Amino acid sequence: MRQEPYLFDEFFSSGMEESVSPFLKKSSQKWGENIPLKNAILAAILLVIAFTLSFVKIEVAYLLLAFVYFHAGIPAIIKSAQDLKSLEINIDVLMTLAAFISIVIGSGFEGALLLVLFELSGAMEKVVTHKARGAIHNLHQLAPKMALFIDEDGEITQKSVTEIEVGSKIYVKAGEIVPIDGEVMEGATSVNLVHLTGESMPVFKDVGMDVPAGATNLEAAITLKVTKTATDSTLSHIIQLITKAAEAKPKLQRVLDKFGKRYATSVIALTAFFIFTLPYLLSIPYLGVEGSIYRALTFMIAASPCALIIATPTAYLSSISSCARNGVLLKGGIILDALARCKIISFDKTGTLTSGELSTSHFEPMSSKIDPDVALSIAYGLERQVVHPVSSAIVKFATEKGIKPAVITNFISVPGHGLQGKTSLGGKEVDVYIGLSEFIQKKTDQKIDQIKREGELLSLLLIDGECFIFRFSDAPREQVKEMLESLKDLGMKTLMLTGDHKANAEKVAKSVGIEEVYADLRPDDKLGLVEKLSKEVGLAMVGDGINDAPALARSTVGISMGQIGSSTAINASDVVLLKDEIHLLGWLFSKSQKTMKIVKQNLTLALSVIVLATTPALLGIVPLWLAVILHEGGTLLVGFNSLRLLKK
Amino acid sequence: MAENPHFEGKDALTHVIDARKKGQEIMEEAHGAPLSGGTFAFCEAANESAILSVIITLFSYAYNLPILLILPVFLMGYLIWKSGRTAFLGYAKLERLHRLIEEERWEIEHSRDQERKELESLYEAKGFSGKLLDQVIDVLMADDNRLLEVMLTEELGLSLESFEHPLKESASAFVGVIATTLILGIGFFIHPFLGILTAAALIFISCSIITAKKEKNQVFNSVIWSLGIGALAALSAYFFSQILINGMR
Repeated sequence: MRQEPYLFDEFFSSGMEESVSPFLKKSSQKWGENIPLKNAILAAILLVIAFTLSFVKIEVAYLLLAFVYFHAGIPAIIKSAQDLKSLEINIDVLMTLAAFISIVIGSGFEGALLLVLFELSGAMEKVVTHKARGAIHNLHQLAPKMALFIDEDGEITQKSVTEIEVGSKIYVKAGEIVPIDGEVMEGATSVNLVHLTGESMPVFKDVGMDVPAGATNLEAAITLKVTKTATDSTLSHIIQLITKAAEAKPKLQRVLDKFGKRYATSVIALTAFFIFTLPYLLSIPYLGVEGSIYRALTFMIAASPCALIIATPTAYLSSISSCARNGVLLKGGIILDALARCKIISFDKTGTLTSGELSTSHFEPMSSKIDPDVALSIAYGLERQVVHPVSSAIVKFATEKGIKPAVITNFISVPGHGLQGKTSLGGKEVDVYIGLSEFIQKKTDQKIDQIKREGELLSLLLIDGECFIFRFSDAPREQVKEMLESLKDLGMKTLMLTGDHKANAEKVAKSVGIEEVYADLRPDDKLGLVEKLSKEVGLAMVGDGINDAPALARSTVGISMGQIGSSTAINASDVVLLKDEIHLLGWLFSKSQKTMKIVKQNLTLALSVIVLATTPALLGIVPLWLAVILHEGGTLLVGFNSLRLLKK
Repeated sequence: MAENPHFEGKDALTHVIDARKKGQEIMEEAHGAPLSGGTFAFCEAANESAILSVIITLFSYAYNLPILLILPVFLMGYLIWKSGRTAFLGYAKLERLHRLIEEERWEIEHSRDQERKELESLYEAKGFSGKLLDQVIDVLMADDNRLLEVMLTEELGLSLESFEHPLKESASAFVGVIATTLILGIGFFIHPFLGILTAAALIFISCSIITAKKEKNQVFNSVIWSLGIGALAALSAYFFSQILINGMR
């Protein structure tokens, strides 16, 4: 019992993981973190000690080996039993069978090694992949659970959003997130939709206009008439898109699994086949060291895909580790394969190609009667009184120039339009205004129209009839141009997909060298385009906002920014640039291509060893010990080859 | 007015939380289940390994068996069994609890009206009625997290954040058996027979004191009862073995 309710969201969105179980004491929860990985590492350590002690004291080695089989074997048995229960024979089953049969034929250490490597790779995969659940968890966190409900008597009470029906009235205070989609009934304000549409500029909302759930109310309190239930809201729609996108994610793993199932079934069937047919074909007995059972089991050990299994994960892990040292987080090795397949890379604009923060690029008078520094001082005096991206840009600009703010009286904020007040100029009190051109009533000015056509954001300052223009820009990140050049050198096509205005998007694209631009995209449009390109040629998508999350999840590879990116985008993506160093993209794609090369070498080596060891094993030419050496030697070679990818 | 010492300087909410925990603990004892927590897992494992060691010691001395071989082998097996079993049972409990919470969440999402009725019954039984009852239910139903917590605690009688992780309990049981082994080992080297019995008695006494203090029971009574049960178990096993062996002759 506590004053604030217990928050169960993380527990449910994690798939009811023990490390966040609400029943466990907080101090005890950390015991449940990464259990499979800890278990696999413990088994690996015990195996190393057991193997070392096997040369000194074999009984102690066997004792430790029993623990290795317990820690690595029990999870493998459970997994295999589940697979068999659903009539599925795959590599898991074969590995488990091979590992336990190796005890029977006196090769317990080899079996244990097989199990430990198997568990380690499985545990690593679990640690790095939680994105779909995490993404949905973050979105749910963004959506408020409660709304201020206005009843028939006008009384305001808190109510769960799930209990609020269409047509009800809700009250949204300034600074709060809109809990359900609605239409403005009373009041006017600006809302920030950056998490929903990627548009960084606040949007004005007046009576009769729709406001989606998830928008942040910036300026004034409003009353909304609910137009959709919580489950039908815009945010819920995005959650559904992400869920579907994550489920529909293309995965090479499926292909490998399919191959693994056929391989495992074939090996098991062949082993059984050889046990029964070899006595007739080669005139040998069933039992004994020359018997068919012995030869068939040797065949099974030789054919057990140890090198084959580690051929890909070790290469991927080495690359992942190298990437991590460079500040690039990959969510699973399979991403490297997908990266190598991408032929197109698309970028979101705001926050990805640009820094996402507005800065004043120009401040110019339209006439020269008032000193620009005095005008800037007045603008500073007005803008410092509100919180808005434009205000921050003007305040920063004035501060950098060492300007002091003018004293403003009779200050009025007109939500969505601008600010006004009075100030003293040359001994007399004058009216001052700052805001949209419509607010300043300079609609017809040609210069202003020209700036708007160029996609630039502007704000006008009017002092006693004299007008000044503030122009703002969202500057491209450093080294973006060089990075795009390096990607083009690797044969990749570059695109920009953005929810921003076309003119603005084209301007940024031109300045950095992006080849094709798709602007004014809603999340659905973006998702459709990403899906089409991912299917056709392989698309890597780079983004940072919540609006990018569905596209990031659906693209062949989603890449997000670690520092400025929304947690939802980070969770929905496959690659996270931890330090936002976008210039590393060229290096990353080159790394993925090298990884594929090593994986191919490893697979060839592993398959060669299997072919070399299996047939002679059946003919009795290769004894068990030699089959084991060939098998393990192949495994070691594959491992060492993969380690070459650790180089930065 | 002087503060009532019963409340130990706690505010009302803290007192209610503690009271609820006490109620939960008492209920667990009534069902004969050991209390959750590292200390109890430690004491349980230490007591069990001690009593079983005493039985083996008596049996070994009575029939001239190599105690120095039998006892360590037994304790090694028991160490793994007890710690593994503690973890297993802990995980089984956690699985049951997680199943319950999932069922309750499903009910909240899919049968809100039913949940409302259940809450109304619960709070009517507590004396709420009329508009006040409606207001209480409205507040509880307004937040799904709060509603789930209320249903878990009020309807199912469960406590949140009250259990130790199964592996932590397992580690405590592991330490419990190791501690017993060390103490019995020291006893053995002081005197091969009486040393073990004395060491086992010391373990019973220590564990009884620890658990009695934790449960706020009478320490002296707990110690005597614990020693008595241990002695009865050991002697029963010993004399029963004599009956069986003499019967076979």
